[in-house]
Amino acid sequence: MPVVDVDPDELRRLTGAAEKTDEELQTDLFNLGLEYEGETDSGEMQLEFAPDRLDRLSVEGVARSLRYQYGDDRGVYVPKTNDPDWVYEVDPDVPDERPYVTGAVVRGVNLTEQALDSLIQLQEKLHATMGRQRAKGAIGIHDLTMLKGKVLAEDATGNSITYTGIEPDGDRFVPLDSDAALTPGEVLTEHDTGKKFADLVSEYDRYPAIYDELGLFSFPPVINGRRTEVSTDSRDLLIELTGTDQWTIDHMCNILCYALDARGGTIEEVEIHYPDATGPYADVGAELVRPNFETDEKAVSHAEIERMLGIELTADEVVDHFERSGLDATYTLGEQTVYTVEVPPYRVDVLHPYDLIDDVGRAYGFNNLEPAYPDVGTVGGRHERTRLEDAARASLIGLGFEDLLNFHMISVEDNYDRMRIEPGTDDFGAGEPAVITEPYSEDYTQLRSWVLPSLLMVLENNTHRAYPQDIAEIGLAARVDETENTNVAEHRSIAAVLARNDASYEDAKARLQALCADFDVEFATPAIDHPTFIPGRAAAIVVDGEHVGVLGEIHPAVLVEHDLELPVAAFELRLDALAA
Amino acid sequence: MRLPESQLAVMEAASATDPTSVDSLAEETGLKPETVTRAAFDLRDEGLVSIDETTATSAELTAEGETYLTEGLPEVRLYRAAIEAGAANEPVEMGQLLGTAGLKGSAVNIALSNFARKGYGSIDAGAVSADPDADPDTDSERTALAAIADGESVDDTGLLEQLERRELLERSERTVRSVTLTDDGVTALMEGIEAAETVDRLTPELLTSGEWEDVEFTEYNVEADAPELDGGRKHILRQTADRVKDVLVGMGFKEMEGPHADADFWINDCLFMPQDHPARTHWDRFALDVDPIGSVPEDLAERVEDAHRNGVSEDGDGYHSPWSREFAEAIALRGHTTSLSMRYLSGYAGADIEPPKRYFSVEKVYRNDTLDPTHLLEFFQIEGWVMAEDLSVRDLMGTFEEFYAQFGITDLEFKPHYNPYTEPSFELFGTHPTTGELVEIGNSGMFRAEVLEPLGIEVDVMAWGLALERLLMLMYGFEDIRDVHGTLCDLQLLRETEVLY
Repeated sequence: MPVVDVDPDELRRLTGAAEKTDEELQTDLFNLGLEYEGETDSGEMQLEFAPDRLDRLSVEGVARSLRYQYGDDRGVYVPKTNDPDWVYEVDPDVPDERPYVTGAVVRGVNLTEQALDSLIQLQEKLHATMGRQRAKGAIGIHDLTMLKGKVLAEDATGNSITYTGIEPDGDRFVPLDSDAALTPGEVLTEHDTGKKFADLVSEYDRYPAIYDELGLFSFPPVINGRRTEVSTDSRDLLIELTGTDQWTIDHMCNILCYALDARGGTIEEVEIHYPDATGPYADVGAELVRPNFETDEKAVSHAEIERMLGIELTADEVVDHFERSGLDATYTLGEQTVYTVEVPPYRVDVLHPYDLIDDVGRAYGFNNLEPAYPDVGTVGGRHERTRLEDAARASLIGLGFEDLLNFHMISVEDNYDRMRIEPGTDDFGAGEPAVITEPYSEDYTQLRSWVLPSLLMVLENNTHRAYPQDIAEIGLAARVDETENTNVAEHRSIAAVLARNDASYEDAKARLQALCADFDVEFATPAIDHPTFIPGRAAAIVVDGEHVGVLGEIHPAVLVEHDLELPVAAFELRLDALAA
Repeated sequence: MRLPESQLAVMEAASATDPTSVDSLAEETGLKPETVTRAAFDLRDEGLVSIDETTATSAELTAEGETYLTEGLPEVRLYRAAIEAGAANEPVEMGQLLGTAGLKGSAVNIALSNFARKGYGSIDAGAVSADPDADPDTDSERTALAAIADGESVDDTGLLEQLERRELLERSERTVRSVTLTDDGVTALMEGIEAAETVDRLTPELLTSGEWEDVEFTEYNVEADAPELDGGRKHILRQTADRVKDVLVGMGFKEMEGPHADADFWINDCLFMPQDHPARTHWDRFALDVDPIGSVPEDLAERVEDAHRNGVSEDGDGYHSPWSREFAEAIALRGHTTSLSMRYLSGYAGADIEPPKRYFSVEKVYRNDTLDPTHLLEFFQIEGWVMAEDLSVRDLMGTFEEFYAQFGITDLEFKPHYNPYTEPSFELFGTHPTTGELVEIGNSGMFRAEVLEPLGIEVDVMAWGLALERLLMLMYGFEDIRDVHGTLCDLQLLRETEVLY
């Protein structure tokens, strides 16, 4: 979940709540859904929250939410915008994979140290969340005074920049944190930031590039040029966002603009000129004006609000809660009172009218609701499979086995090699492995195809503990099976081992007999060869003609492999064999 | 009649007329006094003897008393020296006498203070006069000391108290039991009593023959340590799961069951998780290298895709994220057991889903997260949902209060939260039963219309999930979950952990 670092003094200042203590702020924030996680070395509060209200990824957004919560602000706020002076021309050469651009110009912003830090944090957090690590949307913020726009036409005022695509070994520019002029291709191999984000564009035929009159100044989504770097001296900013979805980058842009508006900046629109209104631009149109601060409207019925929250409210109370959530609502009283709710352009989480009921609940205070046990009668019960598993476990425990619980994930070595069997052979337990595509570590690369390997590993890790070690486990085992809908056959398996100085085949079989007798299951134990067991001391467990398990004394080579210095007798059989 | 050997010996040593003390009986029979006592009580219970109890005062010489008994009392030694020096006639200078009597140190004062008291003479201005009529050979204190040393009793209480004051003897009280044969006892003896044998083990033969009534069992050291024994026991995480299941079944929940390896469709798409959600990327998910799922219900898949792209209801919006059937059909290990809830709610699991319904599962889920003391790659998720008409968030809160109260977790707080599949959503916080801290204990909410409508559910469904391991750590106070779960577990810890119920 996102964490935003917020300076409590800055928060008090932007909220206008000078009298609030840190503790009071933390309680108020908890009720908004932001949890205090601790503080940074420099004393900033670390606030964790779920990734719905991404407009709260900076101190400006958190302060705005608090002001609504306190009732200091009400209803929808939309910053004033000035008419466009800049045009973002999109060249037909732009990479197919990243066709969209948006942005804004912000003038007269007061970039204090804190304001700049907050802006950088907001940019990073938006990249991490909505931007999907820059793949879906990436932000570039530039010092406008360092840009020289192309003059549009002799009879027009205004400037333009151009979003296009270039060859990896195309024009050079000096990227941030570098002194050398590099081509985009060189950035990906030589520059630290370039290496980090190389995967995003390495498959592209042409690399995204933004030019002004002076040349290449931004290589989205990888890095900006040093020429337009923003500092505390910057007053006028040009923001550009590129991405794979217009709606996403437009809303990232809106969140940025609202934060800069809170820092005293004036938002100035820009024009986006796509080559045409076909292909990726068919839905958005050829010419756009951005940022788009148009509000959205949704209808919510009074009855739904009361039903969901389980309380009665007057229409005025509902409107009050909407306004304290930064929304506007109008309604006509009637048998079916319905609110028309206006949603501001920084909200990215409102998909359904229910999302607005949640806002009413937050403004009301969910913790102010009285819990009620639902008056609904149902009959409870256990699933047959787990009842069988529990009954088998009780039998094993009665026979003196300690019940164990191991991971379902295992390595190829542990599951097969160290047990002296090979994947996909007919030996019991040697089923085709269900392999994990990108494992966490080499210890957990597949699902175990049988349970005995886990028990031998427990013995291996507990040689310093008292013997006898009679242990058992009933758990999942799985293998690839193309006759299954999921292509994976899963079953529960019972495995039991006796590790003791005098452990013998007979000891294991005696316990197996007792277990099967509990479930009135008759079985045969024809001799088999199984590499895990001592030749001549291994048997198949056969129930109703089916080979459902294996029984025997573990082969010395397997014992030595597991650092064991005493004999081990063992058996494993499918749990469902007991239900036969 | 047959009696155990020790009882027979006591009977034979005891008299019908004179009470015999236990000590005397012990001496006579060669048994330990405690054995005699136990035998006597058993015989009394049989009506063969009677037992009298008296409180006896016994006296014993102190070390100083023993010394005076052999060397003579200091005042007597002074008197004998004085007579010898002629002090019977005229006073003799004291210093000279002390030397002759061999008195020094504390013995000097003792001699001087008792000399006059006992009438051996007088001391005046450093000179000693002796009374010629005094008789040291009949000194009553000396006589009493000698009697006590010989084990005889001394009846003169005043004298005993005097010796005790002089710290020459110590007195103590104890119960003295004396045994007398009853008439029945005498009769039994006259009729003849055989000695019963002593045995080590109670054998089937002893029991069936009835001989057990006449035998005596050898004594064990019942306080000695017994060998350590490790019986089988249910794994503590299973025990915790069982408690959870008990509670949920008691609250009217039925158990769900389903595949661990499943299509993303059931794990995520039905849950309205956008396909580019960070939790669905490769670093959170364990994809399996197998072919895609054979089939998903076609009409359901279309409705789910439509919900992702366009939302549901007139005013609803979809995600601005890509959606592909191919991704939905890929197989992965489930990241939550909500996949089971989807299979059940869709009717695809085969269970009846006419409302109202309550369902749960306590099963494993898999997350490609960092492995550390509190996070495992696979853990148990408690999943539960209630489907009924007109459920409100208050019903959700009430259900959780009841559930968590069973585990001592009270004062629930509901932090507004966001999940792609529920709205409103809450993180649940509760007060730790022992530390009193506010700790996160679960995640919950009302399933969104974008989840329910494609499934064809027209009533409300509230749901929640929490990690069983989290509950276990709260209940047992474990610090590293790996000691318990997995092949690195410590058998000793599992054997020694207290059973909670």
